[in-house]
Amino acid sequence: MQLSIDGKSVTAQTGEYILQVAQRNGIEIPALCHHPAVEPSGACRLCMVEITHADWGGWKGLVTACLYPVQEGLIVSTANEKVRKVRAGVLDLLLARCPESELIQNLSRQYGIEKTSFIPRPEPDLCILCGLCVRICEKIGASAISTIGRGIDKIVSVPYETEENYACIGCLACATICPTGEITFTQDEQTRSIWGRNFELVYCEDCGIAIGTPEQLKHYSERSGLDMSYFTKCDRCRNREAAARFARITF
Amino acid sequence: MKNSKLTSPEKLARLKGKLLKQRQKQRPIITVCAGTACVACGCVPLTAAFREALKENGLEDKIEIRTTGCHGFCERGPLVVLQPEGIFYQQVKPADAKSIIEQTIQNGELVEKLLYRDPQTKQVLTHEKDIPFYSKQMRLIFGMNGHMDPTSIHDYIALGGYAALARSFLEMQPEDIIEEVKKSGLRGRGGGGFLTGKKWATCRKAPGEPKYIICNADEGDPGAFMDRSLLEGNPHAVVEGMIIGAYAIGSHDGYVYVRHEYPLAVKNLNIAIEAAREFGLLGENIFSSGFDFDIKVSRGGGAFVCGESTALMASLEGKIGEPRAKYIHTVTSGLWGKPSTLNNVETWANVPMIIEKGADEYAKVGTEGSKGTKVFALTGKVNNTGLVEVPMGMTLREIVFDIGGGIIENRPFKAVQTGGPSGGCLPESALDMPVDFDTLTEIGSMMGSGGLIVMDNLTCMVDLAKYFIHFLQEESCGKCTPCREGLRQLHHMLEKVTRGEGGVEILDDIERLCMVMENASLCALGSSAPNPVMSTLKYFRNEYLAHLEEQRCPAGVCKDLITYSVIEENCTGCVVCKRACPVDAIEGEKKEVHKINSDICTRCGICLAVCKFDAIFVE
Amino acid sequence: MTLPQAPLQNILDKHPHDESSLIMLLQDVQEAYRYLPPEILVEIAKTLNVPKAKVFGVATFYKAFSMEPRGETEIKVCCGTACHVRGSTLIMDEFKRTLGVEEGGTTEDGKFTLEAVNCVGTCAMAPVIVVKDVYHGHMTVNKLGKLLKSLNPKKAKTTGAKAS
Ligand SMILES: Cc1cc2nc3c(=O)[nH]c(=O)nc-3n(C[C@H](O)[C@H](O)[C@H](O)COP(=O)(O)O)c2cc1C
Ligand code: SF4
Ligand code: SF4
Ligand code: SF4
Ligand code: SF4
Ligand code: FES
Ligand code: FES
Ligand code: FES
Repeated sequence: MQLSIDGKSVTAQTGEYILQVAQRNGIEIPALCHHPAVEPSGACRLCMVEITHADWGGWKGLVTACLYPVQEGLIVSTANEKVRKVRAGVLDLLLARCPESELIQNLSRQYGIEKTSFIPRPEPDLCILCGLCVRICEKIGASAISTIGRGIDKIVSVPYETEENYACIGCLACATICPTGEITFTQDEQTRSIWGRNFELVYCEDCGIAIGTPEQLKHYSERSGLDMSYFTKCDRCRNREAAARFARITF
Repeated sequence: MKNSKLTSPEKLARLKGKLLKQRQKQRPIITVCAGTACVACGCVPLTAAFREALKENGLEDKIEIRTTGCHGFCERGPLVVLQPEGIFYQQVKPADAKSIIEQTIQNGELVEKLLYRDPQTKQVLTHEKDIPFYSKQMRLIFGMNGHMDPTSIHDYIALGGYAALARSFLEMQPEDIIEEVKKSGLRGRGGGGFLTGKKWATCRKAPGEPKYIICNADEGDPGAFMDRSLLEGNPHAVVEGMIIGAYAIGSHDGYVYVRHEYPLAVKNLNIAIEAAREFGLLGENIFSSGFDFDIKVSRGGGAFVCGESTALMASLEGKIGEPRAKYIHTVTSGLWGKPSTLNNVETWANVPMIIEKGADEYAKVGTEGSKGTKVFALTGKVNNTGLVEVPMGMTLREIVFDIGGGIIENRPFKAVQTGGPSGGCLPESALDMPVDFDTLTEIGSMMGSGGLIVMDNLTCMVDLAKYFIHFLQEESCGKCTPCREGLRQLHHMLEKVTRGEGGVEILDDIERLCMVMENASLCALGSSAPNPVMSTLKYFRNEYLAHLEEQRCPAGVCKDLITYSVIEENCTGCVVCKRACPVDAIEGEKKEVHKINSDICTRCGICLAVCKFDAIFVE
Repeated sequence: MTLPQAPLQNILDKHPHDESSLIMLLQDVQEAYRYLPPEILVEIAKTLNVPKAKVFGVATFYKAFSMEPRGETEIKVCCGTACHVRGSTLIMDEFKRTLGVEEGGTTEDGKFTLEAVNCVGTCAMAPVIVVKDVYHGHMTVNKLGKLLKSLNPKKAKTTGAKAS
């Protein structure tokens, strides 16, 4: 199907969202809570764009690009004045929430905001509550974290109380996906620490680099149905071995 | 009780005939309102006193006592109505039970002091129907409340209940029912005013099985209680509406999502569902038609946002009640991703009436765009607080002054707030506007759930806006930025205004923030949150300005801008205020003029309340 | 601290063991224990086969639940709109001052929990408070002192909790 984004005619498939199509066509829309690995959620409200349609009798409105399904003949403006104003407002609010986040500072600057016009949060952290960590942990981790509380007091956390309540497998997916660097971890030769918990490490049989935590590998094995013996090497060594085997077979 | 199943509509009709005959025999009935408000002011001991008095006079078998749901006129509770005459006694104490039985029931004499006296005309009125509070209403949905025990399916059937269900199964195809509901013009009573028939049609056609129907009884509006009273007082009407809807839409599973603070509603609803099952009106093979349908009751967890359709469905699934984008509607993909129809309690209760009377007859009531009646919780600074049901299109003036009896102590009317936290405040100039979905939206408010809060000159409009924003801030789910962060900032700003800080410029900042929240929020909680602020700014800007420019709260509410002082001429030195003041802010010897130390005073208002000589002054 | 297991077992037996029962289960636990003890949440997570994190997420999202024991007597101050315009703020402030707790807080001696609730359906008697299921209408700051006295006759004016 055809639609128009900022005056440019583009092609799209049923089931796609505006954001995907725009990105494919090199049109940039800021998006903080979106990641191709997880389902879209529409939490940050930064990817607002204005849409209208020839058949809508002049009606137009703002929607989130990450969640709005494309349709034939849709007319999208990604950067008109109204859109920029609303986005600037959202960024201003995020900057008040996380004044120390470099990511938010940089984005805000692009919208002409150096300093938030609102009252900054007392004792701010870097979490913008985009929810990516929770979604990725549900998808490839162990559903070990969740939002706790509601409204302005909402935080992301492992369950309360003792460590043995944590289901975290130390896979680091959450820390990797976090756009602001709020989730931190440490790792030395012996241990990896995340969410206040220490994990042992498993090393590659061949090259000896750390390939993960025992809990993590067990989880992968259970999920994929592959035997634990599959998880004894790092990806590179496994690929090298497979390539060698492949070479033996064909030549 | 196994053979109580009504396997066909004819059996239902026969049962109704039998029940009516019984009712005729039993005649005089003492109806005691056992709605929440009447229970709160003592109808339980009153009922016991009646039983006692009947026994004493050997009348237990001749006269029936019926405890009913709310009659609407809670202001005058506990209410007692003697049927069939409709003699209306108000504010009845247990001690009065005896005289009612001995004088009225046995001798046909009225108990004068319990009759209603019209405060305006001073006329004493005997019958319910003559009281202005009732005479201007049109109680199509609520009328039944006063005539039946909500826990008795027999009462409901005797009053014509489930006849509409029989008619749907006997004479109509599912499509005909949807057509009828469409033709009636029924719009959802939960807030948005969405056309019910259209919703049903889309859901029926949507691919996917099973389909779900849901009754929204979350009633999150902090100032409304009509859904509660309906479920408590007439649960079968809602159940019947849902069965008809299920048949029309093709659903076999229904849910009622009830606000967690409504235990009596849950109880009466469960009794009703149980009885309907026993009579074969719910469950398998209803009326031997091969159609199955059942209802589950789910208690909410206590979150205003769960009144929103997608959050409600998430909550039913056992999840955190966060809304999701509705670019794909819930009628197509709702509960567990299946086509789902969600309607409000009152919407469901309208359905049997539409089927029974026919769409044309139903649509005779109301305005062009809004058909039927609407129940309002009329509260605030109005004389007759209670639940009122009026035809759509009645003016606010008629509701507030004719039915509501005007403002307490004849103080000046200032505003009326409709639509709850998502609604707006309307000034005196809107009083002659007809109340319907479209008019209210046009003038910057909305129908919402039907809360109608009347305010006088002692209500501060900035404080009221702050109140709603505070409520919403507590209730925001926190998923999206504009609502979560915006409400916090908006609350800060309004607090500043109530302290007289920030200068006039702050109003521009408020308006700018409101624009962002309105346009960027994920769900209607956030996008309509600015309404209470924007509507008060529109109609009562002067009050904001008084706070900001003169550091003055004209209504004398905002604590930071008021001081308490003693009017010397009036003070008799009675020492009452000095003794009452919890923080010892009042000085003065007996028989001497007292003085309030503003540095210590916490503006609690006690001295104002206790002084008998109007000597305390607030400014 | 070990908790009585009997109510939990009854509660678990009452509902089907799937995710959609979670909120109802939590409601029953709240009623039986007056709060949601973390070890019970873990037990529920196991039984329903729902991730523990999710159970905590749900338990902390809804207002009906509390993660700390509530006081013996819950004082519910209606802060619905009708009560607000008829002065519930004054009532709330005075409770906060006399009990020395914030909204939602429990007094140190565990006697009272102060709660703000929305419309309790008796706007005709606004402002309303509900204590032990008894409604007190047309509340004034004045009446409040008397009511507290009647609820807590033994408590000396200056001291807080008895050591226990
Ligand atoms: C924040 C929010 C709260 C709501 N609360 C309620 C409610 O308590 N009761 C209700 O019936 N509808 C409520 N609604 C409206 C519902 O989302 C939905 O539109 C309605 O239940 C549909 O039923 P109707 O078509 O019969 O009105 C609320 C909407 C929002 C956005
Ligand atoms: S590290 Fe732990 S919390 Fe983070 S994604 Fe992996 S399992 Fe989840
Ligand atoms: S911790 Fe990071 S990923 Fe998780 S919600 Fe906060 S900002 Fe997003
Ligand atoms: S608008 Fe408010 S309530 Fe709605 S999703 Fe956003 S944060 Fe939640
Ligand atoms: S308002 Fe309250 S604190 Fe102030 S003087 Fe009067 S009684 Fe004392
Ligand atoms: S990326 Fe679309 S709302 Fe966050
Ligand atoms: S509760 Fe009795 S009239 Fe409303
Ligand atoms: S608002 Fe308090 S009882 Fe209705």
